[in-house]
Amino acid sequence: MTGAALLCLIGFTKTASADAAACPATIPFGLTTPLTGNLALLGTQARNGAEFAVDEINAAGGISGKKITLTTEDTGASSTDALNAMNRIIEGKPLVIMSSMISPHVFAQTESVNKAETPFIVGATNAKVTAQGSKWLFRTHAHDGQLADLIPEYLVKSLKKTKPGILVVADDYGLGASKGIQAALAKLNVTPVAMASYAPSDKDMSAQLLEIKDKGADSLILFGRPSDITLVLKQMGDLGIKLTTIGNTSIVAQTTLNNLSAAEADGNYAIGGMIPQTSSDPKILDWAKRVQDKYKVPADNFTVSYYDSIYMLKSIIEKVGCDKPAIRDALATTKDFKGMLISYQADANGDLTHTLGIYRNKGKTPEFTGPIKESGF
Amino acid sequence: MGQLVVNGLALGSIYALVALGLLLIFNTVQIVNFAQGQLLMLGAFIGISGAVTHELPMALAWASTMLAMALIGIVFMVLVYFPLRGRPPFLVILTTIAMGIVLENIALIIWGPLPVSLPSPVRGPPLRFSGVVISMHQLFIFCTLAVILLLQYLMLTKTRFGILMQATAQDLHTARLVGIPVNRTIAVAFAFGAILSGIAGLLVAPIFLAEPTMGGSLGLKGFVVSVIGGFGNLPGAVIGGLFLGLIETFGARYISSNFRDAYAFIVMIAVLVAWPRGLFGEKSSEKV
Repeated sequence: MTGAALLCLIGFTKTASADAAACPATIPFGLTTPLTGNLALLGTQARNGAEFAVDEINAAGGISGKKITLTTEDTGASSTDALNAMNRIIEGKPLVIMSSMISPHVFAQTESVNKAETPFIVGATNAKVTAQGSKWLFRTHAHDGQLADLIPEYLVKSLKKTKPGILVVADDYGLGASKGIQAALAKLNVTPVAMASYAPSDKDMSAQLLEIKDKGADSLILFGRPSDITLVLKQMGDLGIKLTTIGNTSIVAQTTLNNLSAAEADGNYAIGGMIPQTSSDPKILDWAKRVQDKYKVPADNFTVSYYDSIYMLKSIIEKVGCDKPAIRDALATTKDFKGMLISYQADANGDLTHTLGIYRNKGKTPEFTGPIKESGF
Repeated sequence: MGQLVVNGLALGSIYALVALGLLLIFNTVQIVNFAQGQLLMLGAFIGISGAVTHELPMALAWASTMLAMALIGIVFMVLVYFPLRGRPPFLVILTTIAMGIVLENIALIIWGPLPVSLPSPVRGPPLRFSGVVISMHQLFIFCTLAVILLLQYLMLTKTRFGILMQATAQDLHTARLVGIPVNRTIAVAFAFGAILSGIAGLLVAPIFLAEPTMGGSLGLKGFVVSVIGGFGNLPGAVIGGLFLGLIETFGARYISSNFRDAYAFIVMIAVLVAWPRGLFGEKSSEKV
């Protein structure tokens, strides 16, 4: 009797497992990201990473023989449009949804995705994105909280600078980072000599730079997007302001360096998500070249993390099939998934990236100084 | 302090150039073209296509950009102004806003989202006076603004075309009845307005980079400058532009950089309260 019951149980479990694992003829993924407006560059770089991975996987036979279809919706620059884009994606009943690196967009979308009970992978950099209590949301990119801790620590302890000025883009990204940086500096008993910001559409940051210089800064902590970081560094060069500069990876992004002279770029530091250009692995350099050739846009840290995310999902779906809760559970227990440049490991909040890169520009060429890990990893 | 003045004036010169483009069209058809910033963006990208992509000599790249902008200005007029001529002005204004969005998306499709730089047509080490740095390109911007201001003043006050423009602006139907080639006059105004935007784009791209969304903010500032200076007033556009550049730069330095954009609108509101037609306003301002 007991044996028969056990057989029945095994049979039931197998059936349930087979049902859960069943995938449709094509496996639908959804992605919302800004492809127009002033955030289009970042969104395009993320989309390129995801799309490139999907194309590679499909060309190699798909996931267990099933092709992936990636539906992308443009969010533009507004959170309202981001929510509308997400609702359109949800209507298509995707197996997994990815969203952008723009935190206000993800905050606007999270409740809808929670209701849809669909695994949700984002690159949004606000530390609080994964603190919303969503069991469906995961982040595969470094976040501001990590940068806010690591940048001041590196500046003060390794570069021995104790009078930093802070200049950030005045949006959720920059202002959020600025608060964290100030708190981290306070823990190191360092007070910034000046704090300034600029609007995302600003083109002239000379007044802010002059203020920082006039107040006697010995260094500059800089947070922004590639286009405005380029302007800041150009204007520092024009004004003859020479400060040890450290910030997010926009400082070493190819899109930034393309528009700077060697003198303007040289010596600036960045800490953040991994970029492929500094790799010594010819395969990774070749990958970056193929992405650039295909899209005419350089691969950056977001391209890498969205590319890795798709491969992570492939690995998970091959193991657990097309069952949303099972995919979610697998994401939540991810351990040492080897991506292109780092290994991913889930923490209790759903953050999977805990290794960041330290970079320094030598002329117009970024160099990888070394990895830096979040405390506890 | 001196450096802030130089940088404020350089920024203000760009705003003034956008406002001068707005003024030409406004003085002819009494319409505010809210796509003027996007025309500036097109000028920057066309210049980059010529000078960087196709490696044309800088003078040729500038000349071909101005020619292209003249054509774009006329096409803009045919698509946006003519179909709605005679309708309430707000309809045309709304259409210019929509056209600005269309132009941004066209630029995104053609040139992509990457910010790109255009080399300055002038080279050389910056000038330094008592710690104040003036780049060659900033000097070039000041000179270009002065030349354009002079040429536009002469054109509007000393040429037949200027008189035709004024007549067309005052009463389009009467102007037509007395034999003024109204459509041609309007076309020339749109062409010159677009050329001025193109020049502003060519001047901006070496210092601010070109990207599809660059025009929105600059176009809006050009509008603010026009309101401050008095819509349709030539010296008002230039003085308003320089004034706004200085206000923004000094405000960002000595008050707070967090509200830099807000200064423009606070000043605009303050000016409107004190001088409802702007600092140098003329009667036509009531049609804005």
